[in-house]
Amino acid sequence: MQRRDGLKLLAATALCAPAVTRAAHAADRFATYRGTTIVVNWPAHPHYDAAIPFVVEFTKQTGIKVEIDKMQYMRMHDKQLLEMSKPQSDYDLITILGMWKTEYVKKDLLAPLGPMMKNADLADPDYDLADVVPAYLNNIGAVGGPKGYLAGPGAELYALPFGTETSVLAYRADILDSLGLQPPATYDELLAMLDPIHDKAKIGAVTSRGQSGHQATHAFLLHLNPLGGQFFDENWNVEFNGPAGVKAVETLKRFVETGPAGIPSYGFGEMENAFLLGQSALYLDTIAVFGGVKNPAKSKVDGKVRYALHPKGARYSAESGGFGIAIPKRSANQEAAFLFMQWITSKSLDVAIAKAGGVAMRNSTLDDAGVLAMYPEYKLLKQQLVYTDADWRPMIPEFGEIDEQVLGLRVSEALIGSKTPKQALDESATAVAAIMKRGGYLKT
Amino acid sequence: MRAARYGVVVMLALICLGPVLIMALTSLKVQTDIFAMPPVFFFAPTLDNYRAVLLQDRFGTYLGNSVFVGVVSTVLTLTIGTMAAYAIVRFRFVGRSVVSSTTLLLRSVPLAVLAVPVFVVWQDAGLLNSLWGLVLLYTAVNLPFTIWVLYGFIAQIPYELEEAAQIDGCGSLRILTTVVLPLIRPGLAAAAIFTFRIAWNEFILALVLTNRATRTLPVAASLYITDVGIEWGRLMALGVLIALPPLLITLIAARHIVAGLTAGAVKG
Amino acid sequence: MARVGAFKSMVNRSAPYMLAGPAVLVIGFGCLYPTLLALRLGMEQWSLGTPWSSATYVGLSAFGLALTDPVVLHSFGVTLAFAAVVVGCEMLLGTALALLLEQPMRGMAVFRTIFIAPMMVAPIVVGMMWRYLFDTQYGFANYLIGLVGIGPQTWLGDPVLAFAAIVLSDVWQWTPFVLIMVLAGLQNIDQSALEAARIDGATPLQAILRVKLPMLASVLVVTALMRLIDAFRVLEVIYALTFGGPGNATEVLPVLIYKTAFVSQKLGTASAISVLLLLVVSALSVAALAISNPMRDGRR
Repeated sequence: MQRRDGLKLLAATALCAPAVTRAAHAADRFATYRGTTIVVNWPAHPHYDAAIPFVVEFTKQTGIKVEIDKMQYMRMHDKQLLEMSKPQSDYDLITILGMWKTEYVKKDLLAPLGPMMKNADLADPDYDLADVVPAYLNNIGAVGGPKGYLAGPGAELYALPFGTETSVLAYRADILDSLGLQPPATYDELLAMLDPIHDKAKIGAVTSRGQSGHQATHAFLLHLNPLGGQFFDENWNVEFNGPAGVKAVETLKRFVETGPAGIPSYGFGEMENAFLLGQSALYLDTIAVFGGVKNPAKSKVDGKVRYALHPKGARYSAESGGFGIAIPKRSANQEAAFLFMQWITSKSLDVAIAKAGGVAMRNSTLDDAGVLAMYPEYKLLKQQLVYTDADWRPMIPEFGEIDEQVLGLRVSEALIGSKTPKQALDESATAVAAIMKRGGYLKT
Repeated sequence: MRAARYGVVVMLALICLGPVLIMALTSLKVQTDIFAMPPVFFFAPTLDNYRAVLLQDRFGTYLGNSVFVGVVSTVLTLTIGTMAAYAIVRFRFVGRSVVSSTTLLLRSVPLAVLAVPVFVVWQDAGLLNSLWGLVLLYTAVNLPFTIWVLYGFIAQIPYELEEAAQIDGCGSLRILTTVVLPLIRPGLAAAAIFTFRIAWNEFILALVLTNRATRTLPVAASLYITDVGIEWGRLMALGVLIALPPLLITLIAARHIVAGLTAGAVKG
Repeated sequence: MARVGAFKSMVNRSAPYMLAGPAVLVIGFGCLYPTLLALRLGMEQWSLGTPWSSATYVGLSAFGLALTDPVVLHSFGVTLAFAAVVVGCEMLLGTALALLLEQPMRGMAVFRTIFIAPMMVAPIVVGMMWRYLFDTQYGFANYLIGLVGIGPQTWLGDPVLAFAAIVLSDVWQWTPFVLIMVLAGLQNIDQSALEAARIDGATPLQAILRVKLPMLASVLVVTALMRLIDAFRVLEVIYALTFGGPGNATEVLPVLIYKTAFVSQKLGTASAISVLLLLVVSALSVAALAISNPMRDGRR
């Protein structure tokens, strides 16, 4: 397992031994920064909403004030770039998606976390980075390494996972039971039950994202990997327009035909909402749905939902990703921001936030008896994480452009029927190859 | 025939107000009523959405920013614009025709075109993130229209009035303030309304040029459009709050708005 | 000119420069300079978030690339279609309504106030409002078509319907503008010509076609041009309503410029596309000014 070794290396370089042995008194760590105000850019997202009440606790304990600037996450990227390109960064801590990390590092906008984790004055000896789910740490935090966006020799840590996700299948047990159906273990079983659910239960089969741009790309890649495809081959040649890719788009088209009305306009919120409002029988997307199902203000389906592994296609696989928190290089309060970041991702906070409806990112939390009592579905999550792939999308700096302006547009066009799946993917492949040539990955 | 015409007018009024009324109604509903289909028209109204918006940490700051930017840029635009319009009407000077034609052309520059270069220029000038930067921008983009409107009004003032004042020994500035200004009040009102409307409503450049401390209300509203289930109740409440001042102005000064809209195109 | 000759003193000779100076400075710095800078930035390849010094000069070829990029051409097509449909609908509807409502009626002042209201609402709010109305699951649009037996539509998820949605929102907001312009134009019509037509036995329809419309011609053309210019500038409503989707079915040029600059972070390319938009809008403005230039003469 080359990848796992690389990760150990990453953890080792980040957390050098001296910091762990020299127990710095907790109070001392914070004393210097008492009275400092850090500005934090957070998304409007259930995990972060669950974490907000604890921020007050941090201020009480440390005297470091935290000002939260909350916004919707699809606009966060533009806003962060605007802020960070100004001479003095307004933000001391930002929330990033894994796919932004390489671009930010390439533009020299983020501070590496390694030096701060090695700094005995700042580091918490009980932090235990190795406890963080490896796929998350790798997907969201690592930059460098052989591929540029995963752990390995030369990789550095730039972000800590916070508000992570992987994909699972959620299903309405009541509806499948009434139709005499078993939860699907494979894509074939899943595809076979779309029509029966749609025709007999008079309900959408699978809800899905489909909105033009990032959301459509996400939906496509969610299925590409389990169906046996990959984005690039070893030499950065485009491979997503092969048979597995076509099958992934065709699968999505079937979801549109048999699903709740409006999938081509669904972002994550609309997609989840359709399931929570009882307009679809199945949900195949991030674990954010765990909390959503239980939220009485949003959900009409609490008590009727069970969970299963992301169905197997050519292989078992699931996406990994979600959010992480990182420190802008031009922040004037890097150390205070680091202390906050370390505190809010610590073992005890991870458990507390999970109990409040956020998502855990530490193995110790997944085994925590209290958490498991509240959320039995964490048992499944632990199983799912075994199959979770950190390399399900190429998080190169160019990915943002590919995501929003190439694949996101073409897949969306295939979903609304203005292009065939093959046509859409081939056109994307040509455009992506041009981007890869321009980026110097491919020789002309 | 008359009844039919009244019918048409009432229909039109309903279409014009309908969406705004639905927004207002939605802002008074609880979540479950918002998600009801068919829509409910009779429900127990709640102010929860407004409470949530108004009590949100920074609402006061955003409101203050919007008011500051709206008022200051309106005052500045009117002052500078009146002076310029007066100069163009009453004087022949070097560059006069260049100034007037450039002004007219710049009136139609799309704000999308300005976004990138203004970001660059403002950054160099240290105007990013500051309310004054926004004031300067709105003054600059509103001046062409203001000069255009005021030109028409000033040109209609009989020159003899000014001449009389001049013979009494008044300088140009005195003439402008004592003779001209009182006579062009309707024009000033129209120009003020249109300037304020842009400064209060504008979103794209405000998004690019401000930070969390200097954000205006429309920018704040855009941050509410979340992907994780839009909170329609709050969003509509904020929409109502943003729409309210311009609508109140409409109620008070519809006459002046019509004058502003038709200036230059109908009478010219 | 004799009147100008009256201003003799040095103070008076400098007066116009003192009066017009501030406006020239502010417009020059805040509007003209950035507009010209767009031309210059269009020749650079420069990514948002990197220092200006890292930009690479690509010269005029950037404009050539932008003009042949299928994404830009598609967007240009969408913009043209949007402008044509929107202005066509608004002109037809607005003119017809104005002719219908021309006669003075009681309470017209109140109704006129109501008609102006949509124009005053912030575009971002208009976009949000219509996004709610067009929502697939609980939108009012689906409720209305449900009343006449049509099933729920995914307005913002279908390219044709999404286009219809942005058209509808614009027609809603701006038809009243045409109405008010034409009403004002009608008030300026020489009544004697209408009287003469009536004496000649013209029907009301003939009076409209032969007398009123020709006399309104310049108002109609200017109004249409003003609307066209505005239609090419629409950004904020679409930003909130569809953000250009689904696919790029509603991606008008201003939206493309915004996305290229701040989503794809290609500031140079965005500027190059801006220049294309600028050319179109400037041509329309020149046309409008040629027909009706309020400052053509020093005094009237």
